[in-house]
Amino acid sequence: MHELLLFASVPVHQHHELLQQLAGLTAMQPRHALERRLIFKAYRKPGLITTRTGGSQDLQSGDLQRVNKLLNGGMFYTQVVGPVSEADFKVSGVAPDADTQMAGMEDDSKSAPTQHAYDYEQQPWKLEFRDIPEAGTRSAVTSRVMASASMPRGDIVPSMNAWGYSFVTEYVVEGDIFLHNDITIFLHRVLHYPASDQESREPRQSLPAFSEMTTLEKSGSYVLQASINVQDGSNQETMKTASQHLFGLREQLKSAVKLEQADRLSLDTRAK
Amino acid sequence: MADSFTLPLRPVIERQDRPDTLPVEIAQINNHWGSFRDVNEEVLRAKIAEESERNGAPALENGDQEMSDVDSTERLEKLYKKRADITQFAVQSHMEAMFALDFISLLLSKNSPRQAETSMSAYLKQVAPLGSLEAEVVNPLPKSESAIKDTSTVSRGWRIQNFNSASNKLLKAASRLDTEVVSETRYWNEVLAVKEKGWKICRLPRERQALGVQYGFLEATPVFRDRGLASLRRSEDGSLILDKGLIPSGARFVRVRVRQGTRISSSSKPFMSPSGDVESVEHRILQARDSVFEEELFHELVREARSMASSGVTTRQNLIQVPASDDTEILLDLVDADDESIDTEQKESTATDQLLADGLAHSIRILLAFAHRQNLRRRTQPPPPLTSRKRVTPEYHLLRPALGYFQHLVQLRWLESYLQEILAVLRSSGLNVPELNKKTFVSGTPPLSALSPASVETFLQKFLMPIESVFQGTLLTAQSSFTIKIRTNISAPPFGTHYDVSFNFPSFPDLKSPGRISLRDEVEAAITHIFLLDVVSQISSDQLPTKNSPDGTVKKWNAIYPHLGELLLSGSTSPESNRKMKVVLNRRELSLSTFIVRGIDGVGRGARELRSQNSFPNTWSSLSSSTETQKHHSMMDFVIAEASR
Repeated sequence: MHELLLFASVPVHQHHELLQQLAGLTAMQPRHALERRLIFKAYRKPGLITTRTGGSQDLQSGDLQRVNKLLNGGMFYTQVVGPVSEADFKVSGVAPDADTQMAGMEDDSKSAPTQHAYDYEQQPWKLEFRDIPEAGTRSAVTSRVMASASMPRGDIVPSMNAWGYSFVTEYVVEGDIFLHNDITIFLHRVLHYPASDQESREPRQSLPAFSEMTTLEKSGSYVLQASINVQDGSNQETMKTASQHLFGLREQLKSAVKLEQADRLSLDTRAK
Repeated sequence: MADSFTLPLRPVIERQDRPDTLPVEIAQINNHWGSFRDVNEEVLRAKIAEESERNGAPALENGDQEMSDVDSTERLEKLYKKRADITQFAVQSHMEAMFALDFISLLLSKNSPRQAETSMSAYLKQVAPLGSLEAEVVNPLPKSESAIKDTSTVSRGWRIQNFNSASNKLLKAASRLDTEVVSETRYWNEVLAVKEKGWKICRLPRERQALGVQYGFLEATPVFRDRGLASLRRSEDGSLILDKGLIPSGARFVRVRVRQGTRISSSSKPFMSPSGDVESVEHRILQARDSVFEEELFHELVREARSMASSGVTTRQNLIQVPASDDTEILLDLVDADDESIDTEQKESTATDQLLADGLAHSIRILLAFAHRQNLRRRTQPPPPLTSRKRVTPEYHLLRPALGYFQHLVQLRWLESYLQEILAVLRSSGLNVPELNKKTFVSGTPPLSALSPASVETFLQKFLMPIESVFQGTLLTAQSSFTIKIRTNISAPPFGTHYDVSFNFPSFPDLKSPGRISLRDEVEAAITHIFLLDVVSQISSDQLPTKNSPDGTVKKWNAIYPHLGELLLSGSTSPESNRKMKVVLNRRELSLSTFIVRGIDGVGRGARELRSQNSFPNTWSSLSSSTETQKHHSMMDFVIAEASR
């Protein structure tokens, strides 16, 4: 599947106004979205690389060759996305004594049964792979190969490790989604977890208070991302239609924001 | 001339070109012709004659002659001559203009030689060197006192006149602006009033300087969605005009009529949005909104009806015919709301038909609104990836629930009447049949309490589900019961009505439920068979009174072929003459007949079967049970009597 994208930067003072404009354009209320995003990095498992050298090349069967190519081919970062809600974050008043809360888990659940608690074991996940955007396209949109797959709930790290991915870091994306015909418009910004003493080596089991999250961009500005998914990237006709749709949106939003292609290398997902 | 705004810079001479005033003209005439007093008829006649003699008559004659003489060549010559004259005049004027230009150029060449040179003719450049002519200002001769006074008076007059006309113009402009302000205020007040009523006001996409009001439905089909926008124009006096462009302004609505046989028995009334003033903009917007809704409704109805041809729905250009039951038909068409002929064709209407027409009219509208909601829901979901295949919008379910309901109702009535008939047959034979337990439309009756927007949608969702009704009853045999479910599914396959006949019959453990049946005949056969088995098992289970048996053995009817309704009397004295009973049951009657079978065990059939003497088949039917004289009042009496013979 291919993904065609246009991006725009939205300063924080324009955010509210743009939300209104987008709501008017798409004739729908924004859908607020909060996503946990875990970054995994592919690594080569030691011992798997069995490239033979010598004069016995023709002994390799076609399948083996393919497997080798897969294993020794490009390595990519990939991310696992899990939707969360604002209620999943801790109430800010309780946040300081997080350690005691962790210690007395049972007590906490007993004392405040109505309070919504974040359950890491029930967290749904989706694996999202994004390739580096295609180079040398004359079209003024970013296009890249993408794939998504649903994952089991709960702790995702063992499965990912089994597939040859190791956990790198995680962040939270906060934003609003609009849908305009085939275009998904996502006005979002990246939030960082509050700095803790020890760098965590695995995804967090609980979430800190939402107010403690800090924006990646200090001014708190947003990114407007307009995207269309295309089933068959080799079909020139559909790709053209999709970019036409995006250009149409760019034209409509011209007076508000300037949608443009992203720098290809800034969206590089290859692991080096 | 006095009206136009003229500057007092205009030369005073022009003033003298104006037509002479009357006294001057009279003076001229007096000078020329003498006093008016001398004018009389004779003098005038003489004058006319003189005039005509001098030029009139010859001219006429000449004219006649010329008309006859002048041929085309002469006329051409004359034409050429005239043209040459014109050309000559033009050349001459051109020459004069060129001379003037040369003169001015030569004069200017003193001061700005470069510029003046460009407009000089070549000849002049040859003969006269640049800058050889100069102009100087000379003091004019002092004008006479009276001339100066005249000039100042005239110019003062001019100025006053122009001030007057200027002030007139300003006053007119002021009053025009005044009315303009009033009408603008009125326009904007009305626009505000419309906005305060909650309508969406926006700029028109095509005509950026005009205002529009959106009254259409955002989730409608694009054609109708785009029609839901009309511009708000301002009339001369500032009142608001709703301009819908080329769309006709009349209110239209989808009319639902019920036809019984060939007669239209009822028709639904147009629904008008409540509004006080018929002429108000609010009313017109509401009417436009209703019309666009009704037209979309009809469009979708036709779209759906075309896909329902298999259910007997037919479409004409502006008519949809839906068969409801055997002789009832529903007609749907789009008509003008103010059409006079609507009411006239209506004959006496029965209350049920009116209810049916109104109910259907309401249901299709509610379902269209529901479809709009579903569209919104679909639209705000993440879209599927783009493919080259075009996505088609499925037809809405507007008529299908109603059609399903009618079909279900017909089947339900049939089944109910059938069951009642067969139960009446059984009752007439003296059997004590328990009452049926009926639950109709079990799927379509959700509780109507605490309706929130979400629960309204789930409520409506149930209309699109298959309709189900259940009949339950207990049989005569102990611990036996049967259940018949009718399901009508019109939205998704399997289409049509299905019966699900199931029973609990411990006496016949081998008997399997026939499962889902879709034919009436098969359902009838299945139900009849169950009741037949019930009757047979009832007969066989009853202990016959022992007093009738001479040797004290217990006689008993044994069901040998229960599925054929055949029983054999056990404990018979002679094996050569076994008595056999045959039970026949259908929806009209129950008949019992006995045979004497000559066989060892009585099981054999064929030529040796003889109908027992003076035992005619005894029948019970629901109709004739009371009127006909029956030998035996109840079936069980007959059974006992037959056994004891």
